Amino acid sequence: MKRVTIFKKLIVATALLFTGFAAAAQVSFSVDAPRVVGLDESFRIVFIANAEPSSFDPPTMQGFDILAGPTSSRMSSTQIINGKKSESFEVSYTYIVQPKSLGKFSVSSATAVINGKRYSTQPVTIEVVKGEGSSGGKSSSSQPAAGNVSSSDIFMRMSVSKGHVVKGEPLVATLKLYTKMPIAGFEGVKFPSFNGFWSQEIETPQNIEFVRENVGGVIYNAALLRRYMLMPQQTGTISIDPSEMICQVQVKAAQSSSGRSVFDDFFSDYQTVKKRISAPGIRVVVDPLPAGAPASFAGGVGEYRMEAKFSRDSVNANEAVSLIITITGSGNINLIESPKVDFPVDFEKYDVKISDKSNKSGSGASGSKVFEYPLIPRGAGVFSIPSVDFSYYDIQKKKYITLSSGELKLKVGRDAGGGGAVYGSSLPAGVNKQAVRSLSDDVRYIKIGASGLRKGNSMMFGSLVYIIALALIIAFYFVALRILSKRIEMNRDVAGVKNRKANKVAKARLKAAEGLMKQSLNTAFYEELHRALLGYASDKLTLALSDLSREKIRESLSAKKVNEELTNEFISLIDACEYARYAPDGGGVEMHSNYERAIKLISGLEV
Amino acid sequence: MERIFRINTIEMRDKVESSIFSKIGLMFFLVAFLLTGFSQSIFAQDVRELWKDGNEKYTQGQFAEALANYIKIEEAGYTSEALLYNIGNTYFKLKENGKAILYFERVLKLNPSNADASNNLALAKEYSLDKIEGVPEFILTTWIKDINYSLSSDMWSYISLFLFAAVAVLLLGFKFAYTSRLRKLSFFFGMVALLFGLISAAFAWDQRHNSGLKDSAIVMKLVSTVKSSPDISGKTLFILHEGTKVKLLEELGGWMRVELADGRQGWIISIDIEKI
Repeated sequence: MKRVTIFKKLIVATALLFTGFAAAAQVSFSVDAPRVVGLDESFRIVFIANAEPSSFDPPTMQGFDILAGPTSSRMSSTQIINGKKSESFEVSYTYIVQPKSLGKFSVSSATAVINGKRYSTQPVTIEVVKGEGSSGGKSSSSQPAAGNVSSSDIFMRMSVSKGHVVKGEPLVATLKLYTKMPIAGFEGVKFPSFNGFWSQEIETPQNIEFVRENVGGVIYNAALLRRYMLMPQQTGTISIDPSEMICQVQVKAAQSSSGRSVFDDFFSDYQTVKKRISAPGIRVVVDPLPAGAPASFAGGVGEYRMEAKFSRDSVNANEAVSLIITITGSGNINLIESPKVDFPVDFEKYDVKISDKSNKSGSGASGSKVFEYPLIPRGAGVFSIPSVDFSYYDIQKKKYITLSSGELKLKVGRDAGGGGAVYGSSLPAGVNKQAVRSLSDDVRYIKIGASGLRKGNSMMFGSLVYIIALALIIAFYFVALRILSKRIEMNRDVAGVKNRKANKVAKARLKAAEGLMKQSLNTAFYEELHRALLGYASDKLTLALSDLSREKIRESLSAKKVNEELTNEFISLIDACEYARYAPDGGGVEMHSNYERAIKLISGLEV
Repeated sequence: MERIFRINTIEMRDKVESSIFSKIGLMFFLVAFLLTGFSQSIFAQDVRELWKDGNEKYTQGQFAEALANYIKIEEAGYTSEALLYNIGNTYFKLKENGKAILYFERVLKLNPSNADASNNLALAKEYSLDKIEGVPEFILTTWIKDINYSLSSDMWSYISLFLFAAVAVLLLGFKFAYTSRLRKLSFFFGMVALLFGLISAAFAWDQRHNSGLKDSAIVMKLVSTVKSSPDISGKTLFILHEGTKVKLLEELGGWMRVELADGRQGWIISIDIEKI
């Protein structure tokens, strides 16, 4: 008792020194009792608290005889490792009890008041079977002889939570070791490969802990070796391979013939025997999922809820935002793929970030999976994203269920960085010009306007219209040719005829003068020339010969719009004739030149 | 039914009219032209309704109904690029790829320069199974074809008429120009215009001639076998799928001798194919 008080003082001291630490320490109050016991077995029920209780309210134990207890004991330890101090304290109340009869009995919760607060333990149910406790120590007679370890003494068993599932439905496979004998170790452990399943170890205990379990009325120490979560990926009957291992079982050595000494009993010479044990393979029937899966179904089986929202309701262009889709529920949640989302084309999309917040327990996986779709909108406006659909197969309801997020709206403001409002030369940083991509193909649209419907061959070439047009062109050519050539012909003829006529007139008028010229009769020639000129003038200008004066001729000629040159020539020729009539012989040359002049003059006037 | 009947009777009247006109002759051409135009405008009422309705149905996505309308128009004896094009589009939307290809080919036969039809044809061909490498053509032929098919037959006709008119004017210029330089130029350009006019006319003729030919067909069956002889017991040479274009060489008792673009030949049952 004195010891205890010393301990108490120590604890108070440490508590004073490390009040913060002590306050932070979680108070726990728990019960430790075997779950299965034999009828003749006496066993212990221990209530443990990690702080000094001010009062302990014992539980009621029906169906058990209390052989001893409660005896309380205190344990405290203080460790200083590398200057780090840790301490633990434990108070335990121990009962030693024995069952009265077969059946299941419960030990109600014990209550303790620790630091002014009440703590209760969980009620425990203890099954009493007819078998014998393996760790009783008294029943040494049941220990088998060395090398004679039967398969009922130690075996391994693989069990599944469900033997009949649909494809994708998670099930839990548990591999347990059952033994009646102490085990020194394992070797050559072979776990199954789970072909046809997606498998994941969900429990891999570091230390193998034995728990008493009732198997067919016999008490075994059972230990969990491995626990797997399996999701069938195939349909049909899938078998799980047997698992194997070699156990080093400790068996009491066979008694020597020389008799047993006290020491022999005390240092009971156990001997390690290797025993190969195996858990038989089991079969799981996997049904295929029913037909008629929705388009958005991607293998999800279980029961889920979905929530979709943007990380922000409104952003500016060129700012990052993400769409967060959270799928919560139970089932094969870790196999769920990211739902397909149709973002507007000018959203820049990045890889979906998936965070799996599911925990795998004995009943399968549950929790949530968060899909984050990082986006950068490149243009301003209000964008609506079509409803995101997620379908799963509900195992309970046995049908497909489609969850729909509804239309999501995102308001994108103008680029806050500035310069982005006007696209073109001043693109905001980080934005590259890009080619317009073709997203899909389709035929060009139908013709809506004029139908242009006609019967039969409606081509222009060779049609009546074409032939007529061609004929018209040819006709036009010939007509134009005819008209033009006629006109030119006519024009050319009128001049020629006139010319010829005028020449003729002049020649006729001057015929006599010509004859005289050839005879070289100077005076007569000029007289004749003079008369011919005057006669011509009188004929041409319809003037009487008596009226012909130089002025009159000039006047009349200009009235007829004969040009000045010719008029002057006419007058000068008359003058020349008059002069030559009375002048001495000028010679044949001059006569000839005057004759030519006259012809030219008359011709000129006639044309 | 009633509608088609009405259209038929009008068609008959049209035929009678045209025969009379041909007897009377060219002199009355203008009158005849006006009259036929008038009569067309009367019975075109129904057809125009069908056309409008069909287009509306297409716009609403009721492709089967739109197709029914278009086919009615076609059965009434009418045709046009726009009609054939729309039928092709509708078949494409109905996923009847072979038919779509057939109608786009028909449009191109009427007017090889129809860019929309050739675009859609290329797209429809993407969906057909057979891939046939054509025999490479002489480069000059390709060039000439490219030039030829860049305009429609009617366009070439107009161009040729314009050029012939230019030839006439330039020849007159050659005869009657004042200066010899002008005359020389007129002659030169007149000859050039004549050459191009003849080429244009040749193109126009070629297109018209081709449009009348029934020398190629499209495979309509999803899978069709080509035999070595025109009977069912012949050896199977190769298998064609819907939408493949074949050249027709000869016909013999319900069988067609066809040639692929790569030169292979064989016999196919006529009902498996449809002439363009």
